[in-house]
Amino acid sequence: MGTYRKQIQIVGDILDAAEELTIDQEGASITKLIQKANISHSRISKILTNLVSQGLLEQVDSKRACKYKISMSGKEFLKEFKRFSEFTDNFGLTI
Amino acid sequence: MEFLLENILNLVGFIIGIIIGAFAYVGYKNTGSPVLFRLTIAFFAIGIGFGIIWAGYMIDDLILQEGKINRGLQALGLGTQTIGYFFIAFSHTIKSFFPKSRYFRSVGILPLFALSAMNIEHIIRSFSFILLVYGAIETFVSFLEGKQKGALAVGTGLALLAFGEFIAWYSLVFPESILYSISILLKISGLISLFLPISRLPLRKIKFDDLEDEEDEEDEEFGK
Repeated sequence: MGTYRKQIQIVGDILDAAEELTIDQEGASITKLIQKANISHSRISKILTNLVSQGLLEQVDSKRACKYKISMSGKEFLKEFKRFSEFTDNFGLTI
Repeated sequence: MEFLLENILNLVGFIIGIIIGAFAYVGYKNTGSPVLFRLTIAFFAIGIGFGIIWAGYMIDDLILQEGKINRGLQALGLGTQTIGYFFIAFSHTIKSFFPKSRYFRSVGILPLFALSAMNIEHIIRSFSFILLVYGAIETFVSFLEGKQKGALAVGTGLALLAFGEFIAWYSLVFPESILYSISILLKISGLISLFLPISRLPLRKIKFDDLEDEEDEEDEEFGK
């Protein structure tokens, strides 16, 4: 049986997806982020708004739709998140 | 010999506890994770606990020269360590540890009354032992699920600390034997095992400059 992800893990997964998908300057679409981070549309909208207001993601206005790319602060947070996830994993705990 | 080993154990415990506690604190500040907050309290408490006992031995050696540590200081140090072990166990959802039935809960309290005639130090040691065993079992279970080598090292560390605590308690039955020295050596090995996986992680804080440098390097490579 799968376990539920904590909010911080979902944020980590979204930022990870955004970093992977931000190959060019255009950023990643919501659909791609939903697929990559495995999260529902209704839930991701709130989190994305939150992450943009905190400066972890940047909203990029594209011709077709709104896209998101990871900011410098987001990259820093993601690195720290991964580092400390490994730390808590060593104790058999999830961050 | 025991005095020297005690000093080494408490100094190592103090240093390792503070380093892991500080690392967990940086993690808590950067991510806001409650798990890291609990680990911060746990390891600072463990480090401070060892530090108190070490200070007790130093005070006796340099000032009092009675040949034994102040019992109050030792109890305080052991108690502080036990708080740390409690927070490690608590992070593994300690509620599953306590029996749900009222009957079993009441029976669970009985040993405390039975032990009340004994020195408080030994009661604290028995609590530490139970919490360490619980933490070790939960960490081993996580290792079996995730096969992460770090969890194996931490689980072994907690188990060695628990075994050391048990031997220390058992040495009361056979005083003046080698058991106490063995218990100290077991605890030192446990602390080192606990620190091993943490030492492999980068302990410095990542700065913006590093990221910018990395990005510049990536851009240069892409340009090629």
